Amino acid sequence: MQLSDRELWALIHGMGLGALFLLAFGGGIAGVWSLREKYVTTEGLAERTPRLLVGTTVMAIVAWLTVIVGTWIVYPWYRAAAPAGTTDLTKFPKALLVSSPDTAGWHNFGMEWKEHVAFLAPLLATAVAFATLYYGAQLVHRGEIRRAILVFFTLAFAAAGVAGLFGALITKAAPVA
Amino acid sequence: MQSTQTKPNGPVAASFLAAGIGSLVLGILVVLNELGGDISKFLAFDKNYGLGSGVGPLSGKAILAVLAFVISWVVLHFMWRGKEVNFGRVFSLALILVAAGFILTFPPVFDIFAPKAA
Repeated sequence: MQLSDRELWALIHGMGLGALFLLAFGGGIAGVWSLREKYVTTEGLAERTPRLLVGTTVMAIVAWLTVIVGTWIVYPWYRAAAPAGTTDLTKFPKALLVSSPDTAGWHNFGMEWKEHVAFLAPLLATAVAFATLYYGAQLVHRGEIRRAILVFFTLAFAAAGVAGLFGALITKAAPVA
Repeated sequence: MQSTQTKPNGPVAASFLAAGIGSLVLGILVVLNELGGDISKFLAFDKNYGLGSGVGPLSGKAILAVLAFVISWVVLHFMWRGKEVNFGRVFSLALILVAAGFILTFPPVFDIFAPKAA
């Protein structure tokens, strides 16, 4: 039972960083949503605000790390061109997928969407983290900012969700190994 | 009783709009890359500038979109620092830009711009 370097990096990208972002979303959205004057006391606000600041900041950092690792470490292995005459394409996932009409869609639709839409997640998550850091506990008085954070947070989750879903399905069809 | 005085919203509006600009720039670059030719070659920052061996045109698309995000954020931040702006309007614009980014990075949309085989 062992993992190659490539499998380890793919695991860090998808099951580590990517999954962490998606799993943390639930806690983050609940934290922002409930940050209203009618729901929290002064003590409650002081208790939960630091957790929210750390949570949104870590999520933004994790989103950046996920796309950086995915794009600059794992993706080159995925799209590496197979030398002419290669018959065993298992080391060349993109070539393997596009070699058959039955699997070409995983690249032409799945990977083409994933590799681009994933970059929207860190952009949106960074704006969310900045807004949370900037206002801190004052967010309780800024309903319009809080609602904007919820919308951007959800869109970041959607972008990361698409990327994560296709990442898992493509890895099942043609793993980076 | 807590004070309801808060900081001006300009810097936060700047970050949201910058995220929208970055998203739109990414979408536009995806479409431009599909057109092929010199633009696609230019976007291969891995070959042109040594930024990530084997990443291909995605390197240029990603780096330029992030640069658009950062530069627009800095500019807007200094424009709106200490100011209260019409956040609803700015956020609506940011949402439109993000939506455009989502749409333009959707393969059935950007494939429309790919040259058709004769």
